[in-house]
Amino acid sequence: MIACIEIALKKELRDAEGLSLVGKAGSYFGITIQEARCIQILTIESDLDDKALERARNEIFTNPVTQISSLRPLDIGFDWCVWVGFRPGVKDNPGATAMEAIRDHIGKSFESNEGIYTSKRYCLKGETLVREDVEKLASELLSNSIIQQFRIFSKEGWDKTRGADVKPAKVILDRNPCFQIIGIDSDEALAKISNERNLALNPRDIPVIREYFLSRAVLDSRREKGLSKPTDVELEYISQARSDHCNHNTFRGLFRYRDAVTGEEAVENSLFKTYIQEPTLRLKDKKDWVVSVLWDNAGIGRFDDQNNYVITGETHNSPSNMEAYGGAITGIVGVYRDPMGTGLGSKLFMGSFGFCVGDVNYNGPLKPPLHPRRLLDGVIEGVKDGGNKSGVPTTFGQTLFNPGYMGKSLVFVTALGIMPDQVKGKPSHEKRTNPGDLIIMSGGRVGKDGIHGVTASSESYSENTPAGHVQIGDPYTQKKMHDFLLICRDEGLIHYLTDNGGGGLSSSIGESARFSNGCVVNLDKVPLKYEGLDMWEIWVSESQERMTIAVKPEHLERFMALSAQHEVESTVIGEYTGSGKLHILYKGETCAYVDMDLLDKGFPAWEFDAVWLAPEKRGLTEPAISSPSDFNLLLLHMLSRPNICSKEWIIRQYDHEVQGGSVIKPLTGMKYNIPSDACVTRPVLSSKKGLAFSQSLLPWYSRIDAYHMMTCTIDEAVRRLLSVGGDFNHIGGVDNFCWPNIQFDEKKNPDGKFKAAQLVRACRALKEACEKYGIPLLSGKDSMYVDGHLEGAFGERIKVSALETVQFSATSVIRDVSTCMTLDPKASGDLIYVLGKTANELGASEYYEVFEKIGVNVPHVDFEKFKVVYKALQAAIENRLLASCHAVARGGLGVHLSCIAMAGGLGMEVDLSALPTDMSRGGLNNETLLFSESAGRFIVTLPSGNKALFEKLFKGMPASCIGFVTDKHDHLKIMGTDKNPLIDLSITELETAFQKTFGDMI
Amino acid sequence: MKKVNALILTGFGLNCDEETAHAFRLSGAVSHKVHINELVSGKVKLKDFQILALGGGFSWGDDHGAGVIQALKMKNHMGKDLLSFVDEGKLIIGICNGFQALINIGLLPGFDKDYTKRNVSITYNDCGNFRNQWVHLTANPKSPCVFTKGIDMADYPVRHGEGKIIADQAVIDRLIFENQVVFQYADEKGVPAKGSFPDNPNGSMADIAGICDPTGRIFGLMPHPEAYNHFTNHPDWPRKAELLKRQGKSLENEMTIGVRLFKNAVDYIKEAGL
Repeated sequence: MIACIEIALKKELRDAEGLSLVGKAGSYFGITIQEARCIQILTIESDLDDKALERARNEIFTNPVTQISSLRPLDIGFDWCVWVGFRPGVKDNPGATAMEAIRDHIGKSFESNEGIYTSKRYCLKGETLVREDVEKLASELLSNSIIQQFRIFSKEGWDKTRGADVKPAKVILDRNPCFQIIGIDSDEALAKISNERNLALNPRDIPVIREYFLSRAVLDSRREKGLSKPTDVELEYISQARSDHCNHNTFRGLFRYRDAVTGEEAVENSLFKTYIQEPTLRLKDKKDWVVSVLWDNAGIGRFDDQNNYVITGETHNSPSNMEAYGGAITGIVGVYRDPMGTGLGSKLFMGSFGFCVGDVNYNGPLKPPLHPRRLLDGVIEGVKDGGNKSGVPTTFGQTLFNPGYMGKSLVFVTALGIMPDQVKGKPSHEKRTNPGDLIIMSGGRVGKDGIHGVTASSESYSENTPAGHVQIGDPYTQKKMHDFLLICRDEGLIHYLTDNGGGGLSSSIGESARFSNGCVVNLDKVPLKYEGLDMWEIWVSESQERMTIAVKPEHLERFMALSAQHEVESTVIGEYTGSGKLHILYKGETCAYVDMDLLDKGFPAWEFDAVWLAPEKRGLTEPAISSPSDFNLLLLHMLSRPNICSKEWIIRQYDHEVQGGSVIKPLTGMKYNIPSDACVTRPVLSSKKGLAFSQSLLPWYSRIDAYHMMTCTIDEAVRRLLSVGGDFNHIGGVDNFCWPNIQFDEKKNPDGKFKAAQLVRACRALKEACEKYGIPLLSGKDSMYVDGHLEGAFGERIKVSALETVQFSATSVIRDVSTCMTLDPKASGDLIYVLGKTANELGASEYYEVFEKIGVNVPHVDFEKFKVVYKALQAAIENRLLASCHAVARGGLGVHLSCIAMAGGLGMEVDLSALPTDMSRGGLNNETLLFSESAGRFIVTLPSGNKALFEKLFKGMPASCIGFVTDKHDHLKIMGTDKNPLIDLSITELETAFQKTFGDMI
Repeated sequence: MKKVNALILTGFGLNCDEETAHAFRLSGAVSHKVHINELVSGKVKLKDFQILALGGGFSWGDDHGAGVIQALKMKNHMGKDLLSFVDEGKLIIGICNGFQALINIGLLPGFDKDYTKRNVSITYNDCGNFRNQWVHLTANPKSPCVFTKGIDMADYPVRHGEGKIIADQAVIDRLIFENQVVFQYADEKGVPAKGSFPDNPNGSMADIAGICDPTGRIFGLMPHPEAYNHFTNHPDWPRKAELLKRQGKSLENEMTIGVRLFKNAVDYIKEAGL
């Protein structure tokens, strides 16, 4: 029987969701709605009788104080009504918890043909509303056709007794699962099948695959299991393992690099080995705090003598680009499984975000899948639900705008965990599988999620076709699993664990079985969301919230008892063996049987041509812009620019203090509204040690040279850490590359060689920066195809590529959090110093962006010189000489003096002529001094009594007193190089400019 | 002396258990993190504890109303144990999601000591979004609340999307009249916020941030006292520490107003000899 419960807020109560809809309809589309009310609908397919349904409605789903509800359509008036529900197979989290509640309260267990499905109905009133308006709202605001469907009812067309007549959104596949034998008679035949089945096999891999399956020894051994030619399960396994996502073919590829001007030629055999692995391993030997790098799901560093911290960063760009909320929540919940699956498992203690999107006010002809404004709304909300509901504080994050990200937006998510360094007397970072260990899958069930996005979308569509390729993360299920696994870890029940992410079981079992050297998997044991999945689908499905765990048979009973107590589903799906074979069965029949070392069989490296043209040769010059005459107006404009202005509304939606260890928050200052340089957290509450964390993103500099983009990004991340009290001797790094396509194609990607050269240069810079600053790379990832082909005004498609982007994350351990610093000046009379030289380095600066110029003088990093200052700064902070410290970043001194003035709420008087300068790259005038983005600089304040000690510490270094803090007035007053007043703005004026751009967002 | 045992609930998406346990430990109690199902199965008995803490989090993902399913589960499986716990004069604190659960169980407001009636609701913030910010709270000196004894003002963070307390005006009037209103949102001087955002972060009626039952032994609040377990949790600490340093003083050895609230509870149990 199918029943619908409709629930709404009582009429006199404020309907926050309805109000938000009214607001967005007006501001996004200029559509006027007088009133919007939202109705929640539960569609229940079950054998519950009316009495039981009435109990469920009344006792579970209706709040007697605030809500009304009915098993009939609620009679709420409207001019138009929009119903929005999920497509079949889309993760319906509230539907699942509703079943849990009914099971607990009424004692009714839901069978596989029963279920609860949630949807919504919006009742809109508006005299001027017409159907086109409502359709626009339904399709562009209330639903996304990838995961949802909608229906529109007019007042006239509404049947009060039938209502929206919501049917269960259930998946019916109605087919018998099977596997197929694939013909490999020729390379062409296999290539054709690869194309048809979307295996994305590299043409150069095809002969290797064929050679393997056609070899006599392989044929003989397969015959014993009843197999000859490869099965689709086997080819899918190879396809997953050889994908760029799993195998990092680009970073392991061969680059023929050539400088078109100097003629320099170099062959790079593996960017990963040369620029990431080798320097990191060398640094690991020098730095005893580095515990585990380069092999596990995340890197591990020492926190104190009993605990280690774990870090990794990911991106989730393509899915977020199609379904922003689903992509982002899946991204953050997914990256949280990496520290969970590192070593024997760590407890999550913080996360961060980075959003790079197009212009939110874009109104040009290009049609991205989602408008940047809507995309940003969605990704913000996705990280909010994913992070908050995981109980993990989101303590840091940045949001960037650039037209290139309209081609593909970037969603960075970073996760940190903490773990005891020993579990039952053994190092927690070591793990392996052994023959005889059971393979257990815990957490969520398997559906068609994430399988071959493209094939799924081109399948013929019916009412019950699963819309599985875009997922919605389920932090609730994962949080239960997180708590459960940590208890298992502490009891010593886990011998190996890893998460199921990209590639699903194929990756997690394929990789973990390499330790024991073999496995037997019974795919029919894998719990499914719905029947009818083929074997290969079960094997590669990327359904979320799952971990693969190796458990010894003698621990199984205890493991399962804890699993039941935590209401986490765990299933034995196979066993690790030492057979040298990956052996997959379905109901006793073999559907895959390949050698564990198949993937080491000499698959060819990818190859790229990289051609570098220096910026001057590309025609870049410094622009001809005369000195502005109104610096007050200019500074206010700078502060209001989207990439500079306050994004407080985003960070306030994120719980950044849960777990109780917050020391330096993401926002600081008198009014708690200025972004901090970095955050500091105490992951171990009984300890006074803290973990400092910062991130930087400076993709603009790639417009001139990705080499300097990389060095400046790392330098900024380091300075941010030092500003809050970080330790220069303990800096861990995480590199997240997002690069446009680098494979040259005359028609499709004519600048591929240049972008490949940019990648090589960025990697060279990465190595140099890491070696000079002593930063081992604890973790890193790459996402290589950040381009979009957007439809334009005339039906043409234009390739829009994102800037070559690297997000660099940095960590440090602080011995005593009471030495931590914030950026706000704290007392009148304190002196303001600038450390580091300002040079004529406006290339690709925010200042030049005002005039839509690029320039050529991109900032350079002088590691050796900067390092001396950084060490002195650390000493100054540890000796408590400073009252505040701030790293100068995007927008230069003008912007960052303003930030500290707003944060301190005190007046400041500053003289630009006192700045330490470097004339080597050209003359310096007021605008260069104010807006140059030279690296290596800080603004610090200190009590005048510490002047002598401070100056002694910085003797011979670029460190000059440029002014003072005062309570005589509340203005930022800046004197120009000619000692005449250049800027005089009140803090209120600065704040107004800084807040106004997104000021009405909450 | 007898130990004070505090039970901190875990499981099903609850998430502030670690710092709540830590705050109780700093207050001199022995903290026990217990999964809800351990109480449901009877493996752990509520009667072996003197303080029960329902902490923050997203129980059951907050689906179908914050704290609703947790309340149902607790009522169904340990309803009687909860009532005897209260009868024995023991203490219950609900923070954020735990407060929402106490309200939905009916343990609060507990008018006429009827601990099963739902007549208050905590609903969506007026601002329409989840919000993390620090708030100033003013405590009602006439409230019988055991937890806030000797506290007149406190700063704690709020972190919720559903924190607006609403009820019929008569219920609100009665809460005020009977001094069951424990904490109200205020400005930095302690003047009630009178609904103004962001001092009152959610639009709560009468600026109510926390209430107790008529005995003062059951207490629920939206802000998170356990998140102020160390002096470095307060957003103003770097400035305060710097200014104190110049007077030769330090923040470091003071007990935070967050821990004070838990210590009041532990001291109460010690004095009552429970």
